[in-house]
Amino acid sequence: MNTSFDGIEEADLHALVDGEISPERRRQVEDHLLQHPEDAALVENWRRQNAALRTAFEPIAQEPPPLSLRNAAARNAIAGPPPIETGATHWGRPSSSRLVRRLDEAREDRRRKAALSSALMLLAGATFAGVTVYALTRPGSSPPPITLAQGYVDRADMDYLTYARDPKPVDYEPDRYADLLSLMRLKVGFAHAPDLSPVGLRLLGGRVTPGLVSPAGFLVYEADNGARVGLYFERAEAGPEPRVAPRVDSSLTAVEWRGSGMAFVLIGSLGSEAMQIAAERAAAAILAPVAGVPPRRLEGVSP
Amino acid sequence: MGQKCDLLHELEAAIPSLRRYARALCAGAALGAADDLVQTAIERAAAKIRAKEPTLCEDNAARLCAYRSVTALVREKTGEGALSKPSAQHPLIVQGLAGLPFSERASLLLVVLEGFSYDLAAETLGVTRYVLLAQLRRARAALSPLDLRPFTSSDRIRRASAYLRVVK
Repeated sequence: MNTSFDGIEEADLHALVDGEISPERRRQVEDHLLQHPEDAALVENWRRQNAALRTAFEPIAQEPPPLSLRNAAARNAIAGPPPIETGATHWGRPSSSRLVRRLDEAREDRRRKAALSSALMLLAGATFAGVTVYALTRPGSSPPPITLAQGYVDRADMDYLTYARDPKPVDYEPDRYADLLSLMRLKVGFAHAPDLSPVGLRLLGGRVTPGLVSPAGFLVYEADNGARVGLYFERAEAGPEPRVAPRVDSSLTAVEWRGSGMAFVLIGSLGSEAMQIAAERAAAAILAPVAGVPPRRLEGVSP
Repeated sequence: MGQKCDLLHELEAAIPSLRRYARALCAGAALGAADDLVQTAIERAAAKIRAKEPTLCEDNAARLCAYRSVTALVREKTGEGALSKPSAQHPLIVQGLAGLPFSERASLLLVVLEGFSYDLAAETLGVTRYVLLAQLRRARAALSPLDLRPFTSSDRIRRASAYLRVVK
């Protein structure tokens, strides 16, 4: 609208909404609005705009001003800008007033103390953890170690104690000698049963047993007096170094050597001298068909 | 000395409304920056009070000076045109406000939000009363298409549901 026949202009409607109107003019405008609902709707719309604006922004005026704005007017201009608050977006002006510097120093002091405290706590925790680990792992407190086979001799020892003293110490007796050799060739990779009859040992037979790292062969011989001797052999690629001297304990003597890529252990209840001779004989019998070289002298000790 | 103190107190008392005006002039955006503008405006006004500038002899001189500073600072920062559209989470009126040119936005806010008389608003903006009324008229016309009916409870539920998403 511009001007109606009763002299009311749009500016009067704005003035009515904004409270910029005299009481007499207000009555005239209100009478006009009663006669003109389209203008009344316009005024109503503007009033809603005003109310919406106040609703949207009035809460800001009710908030407490941020620290940077408090006392901003009274602050000495020489004192410089206010402290930078956490959480507010500022443009990075450094603080310089005496009060702010004191606050900064106090904050820095607290930060240093907190860092020192954290470091001490970490040190105490690490010390406690170290002491705990030492207490749990020191030799005196550890459980007794489980005895495991550490070498071929131990495996041979175990096989001898397991099988050799049985009435039927072998799976394959001499009448199935070909089957025994075939199985050993397949499982162990070596098939030879040295003839120890020249040293008074008769072959009873053999079996395939679990070795240190792979299947092993175990042959059992028997002397005239009934004493039994076992010959243990296993592929020796990954095995430990052989013993230099035979191991002798209260009842058994073991002689260990290497040959043809295998580890051999002759173990039995004969005397150490007899075991030494029997081992030399076995080694010679094993090496002779392959290389044709004389057997190496095996070290032995008397019990 | 006494007059200076009064002016500084007047300035101090105007801080909440200055924040409201600055925030509205930025159409709800850059909250921290709006506060910084207010701070700069207050510092400028305080410096003028200390320098005993003759323009500060009128009533509400310190307050008007701060409003002028805020207006000038926001104009420098945002330019004369409309602002970028706020997110949909802002009220409809704020989104409409952002779409107004700076002079219309400032005129509307000084009169409606800050309660300035037409003369005082015109003086603050450095325009005549006639220009101020023209800006006010254009601003209201631009905001008229907005659906600003008072919310019913069902409207509130509908508005709230606009922000809910099915995530699983």
